[in-house]
Amino acid sequence: MYGYVGKIARIDLTDGTVTEVPTSKYVPENIGGRGVCNRIFWDESRPGVGAFDPESILIYMTGPTTGTGIPTGGRSVFTGISPNSFPEQYAWSGIGGMVGAELKFAGWDGFIITGRAEKRTYVCIEDGRIELRDASELWGLLVHPCQRKLEELHGEGVQSMVIGPAGENLMRNASITTSNDNVAAKSGFGAVFGSKNLKAIAIRGTGDVRPHDIEKLFELRLKMGNPYMRPSPLRREMTHGMDGNEIPVEGGWLRGQVACSHGCNQHCNRLMVDMKSAFGDGRINQVEKCVGIFAYGFQEDCSWTPIQNYETERNHFLACKMLSREEPAPDKDDPHFEALFTPVRGDITNYWKPDFDKGSVMMDMCNEYGIDKWDVIVWFMTWLSMAKKEGLLDDIDFGMEVDVESEEFVKYFLDMITYRRGKYGPIFAEGMARAVRALGKEKYGDTIYRGRYSQMTGERIDVPVSLETAWGQSYHWQGRGFEATINKPGWIATSLELMNSTRDAQTVAHHHEKYENYLEYKDDPCHSPLLVESIALDENKAEIKDSVTCCDWQSPDLYWPEMEAEMYTAATGIPMTAELLDEAAERSRLLFRAILIRDFGRDRAMEVNAIFPTMLYPDPLGQTVEWDEWNDLVDIYYERRGYAAATGWPTRATYEQYRLGDVADALERIGKTPE
Amino acid sequence: MTQTREYGRRVQQTPPDYSLCAGCNSCEVICCLVHGGAVSPSRRRLTVRRDIRTMMHTVYSCQHCADHPCYDKCPKKGTAMKLTPDGVAYIDESECIGCGLCHKACVFDPPRINYVKSAPKETRRARKCDMCFERPEGPACVQWCPVRCLFVE
Repeated sequence: MYGYVGKIARIDLTDGTVTEVPTSKYVPENIGGRGVCNRIFWDESRPGVGAFDPESILIYMTGPTTGTGIPTGGRSVFTGISPNSFPEQYAWSGIGGMVGAELKFAGWDGFIITGRAEKRTYVCIEDGRIELRDASELWGLLVHPCQRKLEELHGEGVQSMVIGPAGENLMRNASITTSNDNVAAKSGFGAVFGSKNLKAIAIRGTGDVRPHDIEKLFELRLKMGNPYMRPSPLRREMTHGMDGNEIPVEGGWLRGQVACSHGCNQHCNRLMVDMKSAFGDGRINQVEKCVGIFAYGFQEDCSWTPIQNYETERNHFLACKMLSREEPAPDKDDPHFEALFTPVRGDITNYWKPDFDKGSVMMDMCNEYGIDKWDVIVWFMTWLSMAKKEGLLDDIDFGMEVDVESEEFVKYFLDMITYRRGKYGPIFAEGMARAVRALGKEKYGDTIYRGRYSQMTGERIDVPVSLETAWGQSYHWQGRGFEATINKPGWIATSLELMNSTRDAQTVAHHHEKYENYLEYKDDPCHSPLLVESIALDENKAEIKDSVTCCDWQSPDLYWPEMEAEMYTAATGIPMTAELLDEAAERSRLLFRAILIRDFGRDRAMEVNAIFPTMLYPDPLGQTVEWDEWNDLVDIYYERRGYAAATGWPTRATYEQYRLGDVADALERIGKTPE
Repeated sequence: MTQTREYGRRVQQTPPDYSLCAGCNSCEVICCLVHGGAVSPSRRRLTVRRDIRTMMHTVYSCQHCADHPCYDKCPKKGTAMKLTPDGVAYIDESECIGCGLCHKACVFDPPRINYVKSAPKETRRARKCDMCFERPEGPACVQWCPVRCLFVE
């Protein structure tokens, strides 16, 4: 068997048993990664299970490229019931690091965790042997001390996934952390670990992962992401941040670039050397990616340059070049050069002033407590800033004066919510969406913040203090909130992608589109089958990325549509085309949707009502969307996907087209296929 | 290890102000692929020792000691452990009996010979850098390092 290593472990924490499931039960039909997870969850879960119930199953899968040396194949994925979705729903969370490859070296393509351990436990995987061990020595440790303790116990080089105190205390946005500060954060699966009394998984493998076509593998390493293959020195930077948040750093700071996962040919993550720690006087190194930049200063929102979404054959580059600053020189002879490369400044937000040390402390606390940085930087802290300015906190006594400019307050607040201290710790440990409801959504969620201004119009932008969009997530590339300055056709697309999802989809489905297509529908995006086609493409590519596996920073390459298929074939030897992979992605999405329909009541009314109100607030150009035009777009999308217009439920014919007749049968029995 | 030890040509890591190891482990992966077609911690001939806290990683490879104590200790010297005309000690895995004496004889910490004691006896082999002496391009790890943090000295 090439690519795959042949078996999946079922680990029952309740009775301590481990059984083997042959990977061939699920592949090649479901490719790997998320595709396999979706099939397993459909087969094994049932309605009525909560994220923290013992019956809640958590699935982890690698892809056939993991551990092979095919670039980006080091990515892997968790799926399960997300405590951080509002309401709780089935979701996923990608993770990099070395764990996926190590698990395959140990002879496992993935694992399924069921039940709840009676005592605090960690799982030890050493090649074919899987054992549950007493975690009393580990429980309570911060993330890095826990990783170090596992190295003490199992020797240097052991790979691990651990939770910090946030996961132990069931904070709904708790992460699972592996090496290089890589995390599965978005869905709050760290809290699911905690609910199962599971602190960590330690892995050591000595076996083989065998790719099928090594010559092709080497070709892919040279072609994918157009790697620079040149020295990447540790550099001293004299400033930090971007746009209005740029800050001079006295004496400078050291920046390096590191890879996020095993065998990759890129180094997208930014390593910040000798930074201030939140714990003691020691200095630390930490990894920054994307949203982390805003921890250090958030007076102005992220700017947007159309080339980030819209591409031409002459001008397109991958996101992996962004933080490493290795973007190719633009082709200025492109007739669309001006339109693609003219940056649009983000909104003035006035959340907090630049403070290099305070930003570092905020990042360090997220890393050590095991909290989703995104939720801290774009959710909690922005809310505190806005709520304070709007006078919403006058009646709330946190035990310390609310001041997001203060390092001490940041530490105090994150400590309070991680350990569920005082009256408000438990409220905010439930995540912002649930917290504002506990406090009173009308006041604490819907109050308009009056300190945000568009730099495109000079007008005030009236967005609520909660920055909440669908499914209890914060806005992301949606024309509001964080990364707000994408234009209307762009946020229409990303909002539809979120509507169909259960969590922020923009971490794996950043919207990419050919500029020539965009020009066709830019004036009327809601009535464009072409736009819907691009949404379907980005959604399907997201499934493919999480299944093959690949990453959002190298995929999709719109001008190399066969890339992921070539990766898959090089790994497995199984012939694959872009069309066949797209078919597998459709199957994976259908399974995902079937799970939502069966277990979580998903239908058209539920999803349209979740997303639509969030688009009534103005974007930086003052634009919104009308109820009718949004529903027109949903109609076109449902038709494209083979869903019934009234319910949003896939038709039997759609399921059968993708060899999911058994799923249609099951849904029909409970009356959840369209008449 | 003595200060007077002499070494042959070997793979070295650059200082980070020239190029920082990105921690991708591509060198290990490539090494495995060019030597046997499978990726495995047991098959690599050089090792990336990862520092999970600082994320500054160190690549350890055979220093090709001129007096090659690993070669001297091999009970099948000349058959399982051989020398190229340039003095590079290398292992013929088809002849290696997996005794681990070469690993023990290595003067470095960590030993630069990869020997996984826990591997099944039938597949247990010692593996060490052979400078890719059969490749005209030289060591594959150097050729394929995405950040050029390895070089031959």
